[in-house]
Amino acid sequence: MVNLKYAYYPGCASKEITKEADKATRLVCEALGIELVDMPKANCCGAGLLTDYDYELSLALNARIFAEAETMSLDILTICSTCLMVMSSANRDMKNSESELNLANNALSSAGLHYSGKGKLTHLLWVLAKDYGLEKLSKKVVKPLTWLKVAPFYGCHSLRPSDALGMDDPQKPWTLDAVIKALGAQPVEYKGKTKCCGFQIDLVAEDTAVKMTGKRLIEAKTRGADCLVTPCPFCHINLDNYQGLAEKKAGQKIGLPVFHLAQLVGLALGLSAEDMSLTRHLVSAEGIVR
Amino acid sequence: MKIKLKIKRSAPLNESEPFFQAFSIDAYEGMTVLEALLKIADEDDPTLSFRKSCRSAICGSCAMTINGHARLACNTQILPEIHKFGEVILEPLSNHAVLKDLMVDLAPFWEKMERVMPYLTPPDAENTAKMTSEDEAKIDKSQQCIMCGSCNSECNALEIDEHYAGPAALAKAWRFIGDTREGFAEKRLDKLSTEHGMWDCVRCGHCTQYCPKNVAPLKAIELLRSRAIKLGITDNHGAKHALSMTNSIKRVGRLDEAAMTFKTLGFLRSLGMIPFGIKMELHGKMPLPLILPQIDGMDEVKAIFKTFEEKDKNKEDSGGKS
Repeated sequence: MVNLKYAYYPGCASKEITKEADKATRLVCEALGIELVDMPKANCCGAGLLTDYDYELSLALNARIFAEAETMSLDILTICSTCLMVMSSANRDMKNSESELNLANNALSSAGLHYSGKGKLTHLLWVLAKDYGLEKLSKKVVKPLTWLKVAPFYGCHSLRPSDALGMDDPQKPWTLDAVIKALGAQPVEYKGKTKCCGFQIDLVAEDTAVKMTGKRLIEAKTRGADCLVTPCPFCHINLDNYQGLAEKKAGQKIGLPVFHLAQLVGLALGLSAEDMSLTRHLVSAEGIVR
Repeated sequence: MKIKLKIKRSAPLNESEPFFQAFSIDAYEGMTVLEALLKIADEDDPTLSFRKSCRSAICGSCAMTINGHARLACNTQILPEIHKFGEVILEPLSNHAVLKDLMVDLAPFWEKMERVMPYLTPPDAENTAKMTSEDEAKIDKSQQCIMCGSCNSECNALEIDEHYAGPAALAKAWRFIGDTREGFAEKRLDKLSTEHGMWDCVRCGHCTQYCPKNVAPLKAIELLRSRAIKLGITDNHGAKHALSMTNSIKRVGRLDEAAMTFKTLGFLRSLGMIPFGIKMELHGKMPLPLILPQIDGMDEVKAIFKTFEEKDKNKEDSGGKS
């Protein structure tokens, strides 16, 4: 078995507002023997907003992140689906087109940097489902979550655009479902699992965003879910932090706890609720964590 | 190979409840969903309603929901679907009212299209023909739309807000706004920057994933947004949001959540966020302004920004639009 070692890119959200996801990831990776090396120079990917501002600038700044990983001779691992999508899309464009790679490198040269265009990027979810392996993961489980019905919330950016991401199947996603099963829990099937949480327009069209969040949560609950798990901190912000607003808008109590992927894995590995910082969530998971 | 096709039947005029009906057919290698539907209509049930015309992915008539997502019936083969999903389930397009069976009312689709005024309006009669192939390439993808409605059916923003302009019309808007011969790009962008306009896209990526002609509407929306910002059409929450993110990266290399909320919403609407902020603070989730540490190597980030600012300035000096 090859030693798994990555340049670690948690993304801006998990450095502040969802830092519980970062802490849980570090503890889980330590427990599994996956080595994470910090990237002190890494800038924000732009979360799509930088692409709105200027696509070429976004290419160059994403190339800068890959250039840093290149100096470390490591592939990048992120725990944010939006970072995954933005960086993978930029990387696809630079791989497919020499002129776009040159464009990025022209800007990088002003900062004394260079990117080969050959960088690789993965997500904790994909590493668990494939590189680390589901069988090996399930062997590490000391507390199978057999009592939990978990609604996987893939959201958008770990699935689409598939020509840039390449791992999961947007029509028939399997990675998150498989990890839930490996932890001993039961995945819940529902249509909203591959749809949008609304995060991108929280500050632009709040009414639409909050209704969208509520619709996903209510569907998962109707299908019998005890909780949700998501590989994306932005989805977590809407599904958890905005759940109260969604309840008000929908005129009904929802009360569904939402886990970051690493938190659910950590609980099954026997790490404590305290280590997983569950009190940082706005919707309490007290009733369902044993 | 004998297979079953499950088709969602509805007849809203009868006020009957929609139901799924299974039809058994002999599927052969290469058989398309449309060929199967024609066979069923021919041999089993002539009342089965669906749209079709060219049978070669040109006319855009036969878009429907096939195993969960919008695709063209003439462009989707039966056997690969069976291999992947074990079944073939056909439903009408989403986000549109059903007329009967697999036919939806596309009137809202056409209304949205008309609202973006899908025709070129050059500033003067002489300026109608000049365009380089390089200029054309910038709008090339957006011209390939066959108006099948797949993107609007998949759009998550449209699922919640029926008044949203939607990916099809926005891609069409870029076809004209991105055209170097267009004379009213700024006016058009002004209009698109209002409520339910181009800033309401949630970036779910469904439109681009499922478009059968590779129009990439999300890319068109990004280009519209960039053009609007460069033209100074920024007095709206969407543009302010993109600008505050960009400025945050320029200043500290990363996202500054507190500043971003404030700059996007402005002072008064930020006040409305205070009760929510207190709840967040109780769970240690309130982003702290002012003490945000910057990333290492900010001089590199600043140098990269500078090259683009100089580029923009050169474009302005030479008088050309970006």
